[in-house]
Amino acid sequence: MDLAPTKSKSSSIIDCDFHQTLKSFEDLKPYLPRVWWPRLCAPEATLPITIFKPIPLSRRDASPGKGLPPGSDPQYAIEDALNRYNISKAVLTGSLLTVSAHNNPDYAAAIASAFNDYTLDHWIPTDDRFLASILVATQDPVLAAREIDRLGSHPKVVQVLLPVGSREPFGQRRFYPIYEAAVRNNLVVAIHGGGEGDGINPPISAVGQPTTNFERHNILAIHHMSQLNSIVCEGVFETFPTLKVIFIEGGLAWVPHLMWRMDKNFRGMRNEVPWLKKKPSEYIIEHCRFTTQPIEEPDNHELIQMLSMMRAEKTVLFATDYPHWDNDSPTFVLNKLPGELRRRIAYENAAELYELNHSHVEKEGVSR
Amino acid sequence: MRKYNAAEVGEIEVGDCKILNIEGRSIGIYYDGENYFAIRNVCPHEQAELCKGTFTGTTLASKPHEYIYGMDGEILVCPWHGWEFNVKTGQSLVDPNKYKVKVYDVEVENNRIVVNL
Repeated sequence: MDLAPTKSKSSSIIDCDFHQTLKSFEDLKPYLPRVWWPRLCAPEATLPITIFKPIPLSRRDASPGKGLPPGSDPQYAIEDALNRYNISKAVLTGSLLTVSAHNNPDYAAAIASAFNDYTLDHWIPTDDRFLASILVATQDPVLAAREIDRLGSHPKVVQVLLPVGSREPFGQRRFYPIYEAAVRNNLVVAIHGGGEGDGINPPISAVGQPTTNFERHNILAIHHMSQLNSIVCEGVFETFPTLKVIFIEGGLAWVPHLMWRMDKNFRGMRNEVPWLKKKPSEYIIEHCRFTTQPIEEPDNHELIQMLSMMRAEKTVLFATDYPHWDNDSPTFVLNKLPGELRRRIAYENAAELYELNHSHVEKEGVSR
Repeated sequence: MRKYNAAEVGEIEVGDCKILNIEGRSIGIYYDGENYFAIRNVCPHEQAELCKGTFTGTTLASKPHEYIYGMDGEILVCPWHGWEFNVKTGQSLVDPNKYKVKVYDVEVENNRIVVNL
């Protein structure tokens, strides 16, 4: 393989992590039952957050002006990101990713649902390049499945979005209604950072809460690791053989580590999980995808080696995380990659996952 | 060396940064109340517009669990990944020899802020 980085900017890009947000929580009112309104704007009542972040979540240079939050104005975001970087499709991943940390499962489900309606009304019609996720609160998987069925046939919806923070690992059977509904609606399941250590969820590290946001951010991927490990070990991909799961904003370099460790242990401990018919890494390579941001930044040849170890030509998808503080620009990430790998990561892997070249078009023509 | 007449004294308030296009280069002129600093408006990490970040101070090197605030007004924090730069030298705090942003000499002449390119 040619390992020289490419400088070409001509290839198409799909951004798998593009954050739209509200101008204020008031925006949810038209979609939210009246009973929940009093707590919507009360301090700390809607999104529980434990650890102070010295750098604000959103880039201050991405504000649309008038004091509005970055990512709250579709027209500004279209210019500032889609047009600037010539992005062909952007998967909207929203801004209520702490919702799984709320103590009230009904309130959590209601605001997730309101947010989904807001996205479909205020963002999706603004640009054909936007694709939607259905955010669900995982506290009550039956309510989550109901939400997936409510919106799953919308032609622009491509995935179900689960915040990674959770009281229980996602491979466990109580979450199966979510996977059943995703499969029923031909949707990808996306697991995105959010809610780790907040509210009702277990601590950010496995040994307790860290002292600083630096310490927190360094270890966040353990939540992605824990969910992936659980989903594979519990045989979710045997139960739902068509299910695809994408892990967003967890970085990448932990994936080879986990695959090697799982495969090694499988040789000696397979008898605990007789439902697994293949090596764990084979399930991962076939069913799981991982997005680049926040990409690790070793020197370039080490990065390419790491990508090779995780079969990135099949498993890795590009993401910006616009407009959050730790977003990656397409040029910064993609110019590191040799030609064919760049094409796979920038576009092809995502186009295949979300069936953008084929069935998605068909889906738009089908009334359900 | 060329002199560029950037702004009038009083045009940039204390703590503010005015971003100008100077001969095709985007450069921020920052005023700390005493001196003016001219800093290239491009972060060496991911090419964000650095001068749209925050001018502030930082925690100085200390013993574990000792917090000393200092360099107030001497640090520019990138609005993207939070990288800190010394406004006087352009050097990043963590990796000063590898990541440096270009800074230019600034003088005040006849009530004008002049950047030496």
